[in-house]
Amino acid sequence: MLALEFPPLSHIVNWPGLAGDGQWWEINKVVLVYGAAVLFTLLIFILGNKKQLVPTGAQNLAEMAVEFVEDGIVMETMGKEGIKYTPYLLSLFFFIFFTNIFEVIPIIQMPASARIALPMFLALLSYVIYHGAGFKSHGIGYIKHALVPPGVPVALLILVVPIEFISKFLVQPFSHTVRLFANLLAGHILLVTFAVLSSGLVVAKWYVVFSPLPIIGVIFFTAFEVLVSFLQAYVFTLLTGVYINAAQSHEH
Amino acid sequence: MQRIRLLFAAAAILLLGFLSFPHPASAAEEEAKYKDKYTEECAHMLAEGKTLDDCQTAPNPLLPETNEIIWGVVGFAVVFGAIAWKGLPAIKGSMDARTERIRSDLDAAEAQRTEATGVLAEYQAQLTDARSQSAAIIEEARQAADEVKATLVAKAEADVAEMRTKAAADIEAAKVQAIADLRGEVANLAIGAAEEVVGANLDRDASVALVEAYIDRVGANR
Repeated sequence: MLALEFPPLSHIVNWPGLAGDGQWWEINKVVLVYGAAVLFTLLIFILGNKKQLVPTGAQNLAEMAVEFVEDGIVMETMGKEGIKYTPYLLSLFFFIFFTNIFEVIPIIQMPASARIALPMFLALLSYVIYHGAGFKSHGIGYIKHALVPPGVPVALLILVVPIEFISKFLVQPFSHTVRLFANLLAGHILLVTFAVLSSGLVVAKWYVVFSPLPIIGVIFFTAFEVLVSFLQAYVFTLLTGVYINAAQSHEH
Repeated sequence: MQRIRLLFAAAAILLLGFLSFPHPASAAEEEAKYKDKYTEECAHMLAEGKTLDDCQTAPNPLLPETNEIIWGVVGFAVVFGAIAWKGLPAIKGSMDARTERIRSDLDAAEAQRTEATGVLAEYQAQLTDARSQSAAIIEEARQAADEVKATLVAKAEADVAEMRTKAAADIEAAKVQAIADLRGEVANLAIGAAEEVVGANLDRDASVALVEAYIDRVGANR
């Protein structure tokens, strides 16, 4: 009727290799998106590193972005103690944001975070960093700090300690990964769905009267995914800050 | 937000399912061939000797499907237009405001620095003035002290000279007195001795006159 053929999920996230097909170093579209995101992140640092006393143009924009991460994430989650983590969190935020935003860039239209490799790697890297911060701050006592919440009756520890262990050492990196991955994959599927719908409806017979709906959907979700790209980068970075703070905090 | 997105996704999938439902007239035709073009493409690929993995990747290594590109461009163009229309002026406004704030902060800091430099120069001038005044006061005090010292020394020297003069006079008077006393005593002794020697009383006044004349003569010879 509409010749509406929705591509398999693998066709919208699984890209064949441009070089080294099947090799561990295979270069495909997702790797190119990583590279572009790295370049744009570096650009932020380069622009922000200009020494003009009164910043204008790109330097001003870069400084605003850096201020946003420093004031909105680092200071909010860790205070002054967290300043040393600013370079990592700054890199994390911009790298994730740029990998996400390629979701809406025409022709590319692929968020690298919609493949689980990147969110998983970043979540594991953050996992190592925040537990490392915990051990650095508390020494071996960090294990007790992490597993035994203050004020819990001794009798309940047999229940609480395993729960805390599963929560902090097993589930936390998983939820950190999936939150970013699932949001971007869902957004990508939504955009493809509405694009296919729009395409199918404009060539349909009387169903063409419905065509404005998916077109509005495409426009709405494009705008929405711009917001999601930003928010998910913010949330991932914010949670990393929260986890670091929880690990190194002495407020027990 | 997650729930809204899930609701939209569910609605989109339902709509897609409804619209994808095969038309009765064409259903038999489709069933005779393949389920859809992707299945057909995969069948051809397998027939060409490719693997199932090849069917599980995007047809083009870089480009999405044409319809995705077209509608992606439409969506992006509208969103970009809206951002350029409303968002960019706001972003530019906040950037300009930030630039202006930094510039005014720097100007204020420069003004305060200039003011502080002026105050410092003023303090330094006052300090220099105070130092020269204190030096003058010290010099004046030193001169006054020197004058007082000179006066006191002169007075002390005068007193010493006067005391010396008086002491010399006293000594001279004492000396004269002592000599006179001694002369009388010697005269008495000499007379006594002479009386003893000659065994007779001499006239006292004549004897004293003789002795004194003798002493004067002796003194004149010394």
